[in-house]
Amino acid sequence: MAFKKDLSVDFAGVKCLNPFFLASSPVGNNYDMISKAFEAGWGGVFYKNQDSVPEHEISPIFGVEEGDVGRSWGMFKNCEHASQNSMEQNLDYMRRLKEHYPEHRIFATIMGGSDEDWTNLVVSVAQAGIDGVELNMSCPHMGRDNMGADVGCNPALVEQYTRVAKKAARSGLKVITKMTPNITNMVPSALAAKNGGADGVSAINTVKSIIDLDKDLFTTEPVVNGKSAISGLSGRAVKPISLRFLCEMKQNPGLKDFPISSIGGVYTWEDAVDYLLLGATNIQVCTSIMEYGYRIIDDITSGLSYWMDEKGFEKLDDFIGKALPNIVSPSQFTRTFKIHPAFNHDKCIGCGRCYVSCYDGGHQAIKWLDEERRPQLIEENCVGCHLCQKVCPVINCITPGEVVFDEGAKPEKIVYKKNFD
Amino acid sequence: MSKVELKGYMEEAERPFNLRTALDEANRCLVCYDAPCSKACPAGTDPARFIRALKFRNVKGGIETIRENNPLGGICAKVCPYDQLCQGACSMTGIDKPIRIGKIQSFLIEQEEAFKMHVVKAPAEKKEGKVACIGAGPASLTCARELAKAGYSVTIFEREQRAGGMASYGIVPSRLPQKVVDHDIQLIADLGVQFVFGHEVKREDLEPFDAVFVGTGLWDAKIPSIEGAGLPGVYSAVDYLKKAGTEKEAFHAGKTVIVVGLGDVAVDCATTAKLLGAEDVRIMYRRTIEEAPADMDELKYALSLGVGITTGFYPVSAKGNGKLEIVEAAGFRDKEAKMTLSADTLVFATGQKAEKLDILDDLPISGKGTIEAQENGFVSGKVFAAGDVVNGGQTVVQAVADAKLTAAEIIAYLEKKGV
Repeated sequence: MAFKKDLSVDFAGVKCLNPFFLASSPVGNNYDMISKAFEAGWGGVFYKNQDSVPEHEISPIFGVEEGDVGRSWGMFKNCEHASQNSMEQNLDYMRRLKEHYPEHRIFATIMGGSDEDWTNLVVSVAQAGIDGVELNMSCPHMGRDNMGADVGCNPALVEQYTRVAKKAARSGLKVITKMTPNITNMVPSALAAKNGGADGVSAINTVKSIIDLDKDLFTTEPVVNGKSAISGLSGRAVKPISLRFLCEMKQNPGLKDFPISSIGGVYTWEDAVDYLLLGATNIQVCTSIMEYGYRIIDDITSGLSYWMDEKGFEKLDDFIGKALPNIVSPSQFTRTFKIHPAFNHDKCIGCGRCYVSCYDGGHQAIKWLDEERRPQLIEENCVGCHLCQKVCPVINCITPGEVVFDEGAKPEKIVYKKNFD
Repeated sequence: MSKVELKGYMEEAERPFNLRTALDEANRCLVCYDAPCSKACPAGTDPARFIRALKFRNVKGGIETIRENNPLGGICAKVCPYDQLCQGACSMTGIDKPIRIGKIQSFLIEQEEAFKMHVVKAPAEKKEGKVACIGAGPASLTCARELAKAGYSVTIFEREQRAGGMASYGIVPSRLPQKVVDHDIQLIADLGVQFVFGHEVKREDLEPFDAVFVGTGLWDAKIPSIEGAGLPGVYSAVDYLKKAGTEKEAFHAGKTVIVVGLGDVAVDCATTAKLLGAEDVRIMYRRTIEEAPADMDELKYALSLGVGITTGFYPVSAKGNGKLEIVEAAGFRDKEAKMTLSADTLVFATGQKAEKLDILDDLPISGKGTIEAQENGFVSGKVFAAGDVVNGGQTVVQAVADAKLTAAEIIAYLEKKGV
């Protein structure tokens, strides 16, 4: 039996076996898939999006960057639409899942275009006896206008549709509103969802994007009969964007206790910890499963458990939101010192990357010793940016060295990152 | 059970890179500031530049770098002792293992062929000057390319029916496929270089030329004058490899083969014997493995084919009734050691020397039989020379390096002459 900590967590008033759910996407679209995922260790599912007017699917649907085909994807672009199953089929799947996996959580993702649409969809899916609904106000590539992300960018509509859905929901059915990142500030939309009665929000849906263009066809992927579209980007590339929105919401006084389900580029337990440290209580995963399968949950739960053990955390609540006080406005930085890099000449292999980058992209603070093939710091030019450390290919060869305080500044104890293993 | 896996004689030993695996390898490259790999290439092929081109997905730019700098970029990619040159100098060695530069170079050359690229073109306006190159081996081919690129008319005289010299006749195809040699040569021919095959060059042939380059190599075998050296079944390495290269699978490489020596040529002979079906192949070397000049990767490959090595011995006599049957060997350092072996084939890969050629008569020849040329390749009058025939037998890349230098000197000479 694999070593495992208690990973249970409360999300929006629902007790979950663990915070790791299949995101509303191709990875959770029927009984067999989801039951396989539950057996593998996933805690729940946001059941693939259903809408009122199904769209005929395109072919092909996906794209990755040229160099990533058959490699580890840095990003993933899709232009997929809602579930192609009928509502009856999906209700049957969800009902059976609920029956066979009573401890697992099922949220049905739905998308409407009017008050009536939303009401009908909520009432329909509620018949399956599920735990909640996720309102998709965030799809970036709709086959029709004025739905999806168009709604999510308009706080008034977010509030209106959330309220309609919440009203249609039977008592106990949780309502989560899914946010779009294609917006300068997510907080007003999240507050609107909260005002509309949502039990939480999920973020982010995919980012509107164009990836590598085909140099013969002069368009991007997916190429559908010679054309493509601006459509949703996911995967590793969007994780920093998602973390930023999560942090801004969690740091907003109106949202600090509002449950957030995070989505975006989770491949490893370390990715998951990042979201938990910034306050997420649920994590949805899609792209990494599409790339590697449900089995990735093994190392997410195992790695997380070992890390918690190392840190002395017994449960997720011990560290959820722990990083929030340490993300501040740049205006609050201590700006009285710089840290010079220290070069370990024994570890150095003489590639000179630090020299090239410091000269062309920094402050000409490294002298290259031609004979020895080693860098030498020109202290008076160094601003302590540590670009040299970021390009050095040898582990812990360039490390933070002397902390130098400005003239007249009061020396204090400085906290800085020391380990770059 | 042994893991020996025998491939065909003409089959390349290693699976080549494709775009993805080549990019993976290029992405390991650190892109050094003062790239030691490029400094270590005698021929100035500039691996740092072509690996960087590939890393930044500029395949054609990478091909251009190789071909501009090295007329035999394809051959060198296969046979260079890179562990002692570019790869030996690679900074990545300090982290795990060097970038596989030779393999990347091979990949780019394959792309050059696929794209039908002609990086180097002869100028539209020809110069008057005419140059003869004697021998169609690496040195002459390089010299010819450099001169043709500068606009001169070049004729290569070759007594065999095919160009390439040692590259075509002296290296096992599993290491250097003929198509790679032919591709390098074709690009040189495409510049308008004339080849005269099957012709032993005479003095009068050279009269119409403004300059003459001698790149005849070392083709005379050094077979020690031991008892039985003339028996059928006793070969020099050059003859053995040349016969194998010409007759291919039809060549009877022997059943029990002893190869004497442990340089790259000896390893090639042993590999050839094994790939052509010899049952028992043994390398006999008088010194120890760590003293041997052979490339370790090539030696490991020979071992993986099942070739054995006997160190500390050298053959003292060959015996047999009308053909080789017995080889007697003695300890080189251990004066007591003696050994008697059954063998039907004995190959001496203990070095080559220059042949006595009529055209070389007036040229200064060293005691070792090599041409005494200045460092820039100048010999005397209008005659220049480079490659094995001058340096006493080194690598292809060294021949390329020397011939590039000599070609520059010939150009300077022709310019001075006003042709």
